[in-house]
Amino acid sequence: MGLCGCFTRVDLIRSIAIVGLNVAAGRRRLWIAKPLGKWAAEAMADNFSPDSEPTTRTLLRRVLDTADPRTPRRARSTRSGAQRDLLETPSTRRQRSQTKMTARRRSHTAASVDRLARIQASGHLEEQTPRTLLKNIILTAPESSIVKPEAVVKLVPSPQVVQHTRRESSRGSLELQLPELEPPTTLAPGLLAPGRRKQRLRLSEFQQGMDWGHLSQEPRENADASSLTSSLNLTFAMPLQPQSVKRPGLARRPPTRRVVDVGTFLQDLRDTSLAVAPPGESHRTPVGTVPTDTVLEDTQPFSQPLAGHSPSVHHSLPCPSPSGAKEVEGPASRRTWSSGPGLQNNHSGPGKPAQLLARKVEEVEALAVGFPNISSISGEDGVEPLQNGVGEEAEESMEESMSVREVEKAAEEQGSARAEEPEGHTEVAEAAGSLGSIEAKEPEGSSEDEDPSASPKLAPSTPEFLRTRRLQSPEPAPPPSTAVLPSELPKRLSARIPPRPRIPGSRPRQDPYKAGLNHYAKLFSFYAKMPMEKKAVEMVEKCLDKYFQHLCDDLEVFAAHAGRKTVSPEDLELLLRRQGLVSDQVSLHVLVERHLPLEYRQLLIPCAFSGNSVFPTQ
Amino acid sequence: KEEDVLILLQRLKAAVHYTVGCLCEEVSSDKDMQFSKQTIAAISEVTFGQCENFAKDLEMFARHAKRSTVNTEDVKLLARRSHSLLKYITEKNEDIAQLNLERKAKKKKKLEDENRNSVELAEAGVEESEN
Repeated sequence: MGLCGCFTRVDLIRSIAIVGLNVAAGRRRLWIAKPLGKWAAEAMADNFSPDSEPTTRTLLRRVLDTADPRTPRRARSTRSGAQRDLLETPSTRRQRSQTKMTARRRSHTAASVDRLARIQASGHLEEQTPRTLLKNIILTAPESSIVKPEAVVKLVPSPQVVQHTRRESSRGSLELQLPELEPPTTLAPGLLAPGRRKQRLRLSEFQQGMDWGHLSQEPRENADASSLTSSLNLTFAMPLQPQSVKRPGLARRPPTRRVVDVGTFLQDLRDTSLAVAPPGESHRTPVGTVPTDTVLEDTQPFSQPLAGHSPSVHHSLPCPSPSGAKEVEGPASRRTWSSGPGLQNNHSGPGKPAQLLARKVEEVEALAVGFPNISSISGEDGVEPLQNGVGEEAEESMEESMSVREVEKAAEEQGSARAEEPEGHTEVAEAAGSLGSIEAKEPEGSSEDEDPSASPKLAPSTPEFLRTRRLQSPEPAPPPSTAVLPSELPKRLSARIPPRPRIPGSRPRQDPYKAGLNHYAKLFSFYAKMPMEKKAVEMVEKCLDKYFQHLCDDLEVFAAHAGRKTVSPEDLELLLRRQGLVSDQVSLHVLVERHLPLEYRQLLIPCAFSGNSVFPTQ
Repeated sequence: KEEDVLILLQRLKAAVHYTVGCLCEEVSSDKDMQFSKQTIAAISEVTFGQCENFAKDLEMFARHAKRSTVNTEDVKLLARRSHSLLKYITEKNEDIAQLNLERKAKKKKKLEDENRNSVELAEAGVEESEN
């Protein structure tokens, strides 16, 4: 019976391959079918290995390997053999790397290569036939999941490398190469990869600046269009670039830039600085460890000239932004981080999720007005605790200096690329949040930061700070702040704010899912095949949010119903059954086969491999 | 057989329709609002369809909990979407549970009494015999 089973599978493959080739090859069907037939016979003879599932992907690969690369219309060329072998080997190599290799398999591929060499076929291999295109695609396409949002990190390495090499080459003549280098970076704001490069540059520059005690340069390369503090900045920039490249952990956050309206910004600063004066208990996860680092190192926060200090604060802002931006990919991390600030400063609270939301919405809308306010508030909060932790200064004086710093920062950043501002603000907010929840929770968020070492430093300082805060402020002023914020925020964000007077559990729900929802909303707009309004996309995101929440609630309830505490595939099957997707005719495995890529299918559907082993184990 | 099933279905639908009609009349007399016949028909159709769904879901839930009998837990799971309904059902469930407890308590008492009686009788019998 086993042999019969082998027979049918191989017959299936052969028939499919033959059909496929018939379609492609037209007249040559007989001639092409023969090698396949031979190969299929070999396969049969060799006891078809059960580890190769006849899915479309493997099938296609085999077809590409064994079939003639030449299209029926092209004339033969003599160069075929060697080139075909060259083409074969990468594909066979890929086969090997991807599927379980057995000795038989190698003999298959070797035999196919030999056979092809024997065959007098030729192809114009430089020509872009669909077959070669497809082969190249299979060879080079990144393995991406259609289910999970694409991790943006993948885009980073290649431009990084390019930029790195470019920078290195330009080290010799800085000024000459300046204008060349600038334009590509000025294109950056919308793109993630150059933004990441910029991000790293800024971070390393910032660190250097901290060492040197002064950084007047703009972190953004955009602003350096005029080669201002050119040579000095560049000397920092050049050697720093390779450093930052070596630290992949730094490049996590896409830069989000906002245009800053300084007038409203300042006004809100003043408005909220009063409200901020008595901040409440602050339970914040330690996210912004880098800025705390810099501030802690800076032992004389007020003696320094503000001009010098504001850049440091300013530079401190971009640094934790990677941790914030990383949330695009890591919902779990965000939950740990965002679960902290559930309780405390409401204004920073609204600020944070608003900023996160804004980051997502950034591509959708430019929200120039609302963010500076939020970010200013949270910035104040963020830097305040740091300051307190360091020097235990009077809060008002710190706030004043903070506000001044922020003003300067705002002045600096005005007119710069958009995303810098909210980025910085989000970082500061995260720093604030981080400090707040140190008491409440472990510094989980800090582990995600570049400098986890900073968090232990924070820990001893923050309890004191928190105690002092608590004594001073019986109650934060949430109402004025929340009243201030919703009026300025766009409607979408204001819809989030009212539920903010808070249940600690509710916060993690909103933000982590927004990241993935953006991905799905974009998919939606793609499949709509029509341009979609921003509001429509937002509505879609909202609906998706509710849908997924319901879904997860259901799953939880199902698991509890079965007396379990863990959601199992049974629960999912029940869910899909209720939705009507799984029925008596259509089982879950069929759906998995239909819709998921091969890798997931391998993980989900138990399949028997050689040696009597079944994966995944049941 | 199919015809029988169809006839049964029709009878069931008619029954549901009648009940819905009665309820609508009550509501209309309460709220002083009229219900058109199409409305009643629509409501009864929807109700009937939902009943089918409920039945399937209940069976699935029972099977999911590896039981062969539909339980009150299954019903509660079914009603989880609407909070008021869930509350109502939970309360009813608690009432029933209490009733059951009371009945059990009564039964236990009866049993105990009987036991005591029998013991006493036995003792009495023994004493008498001794005497």
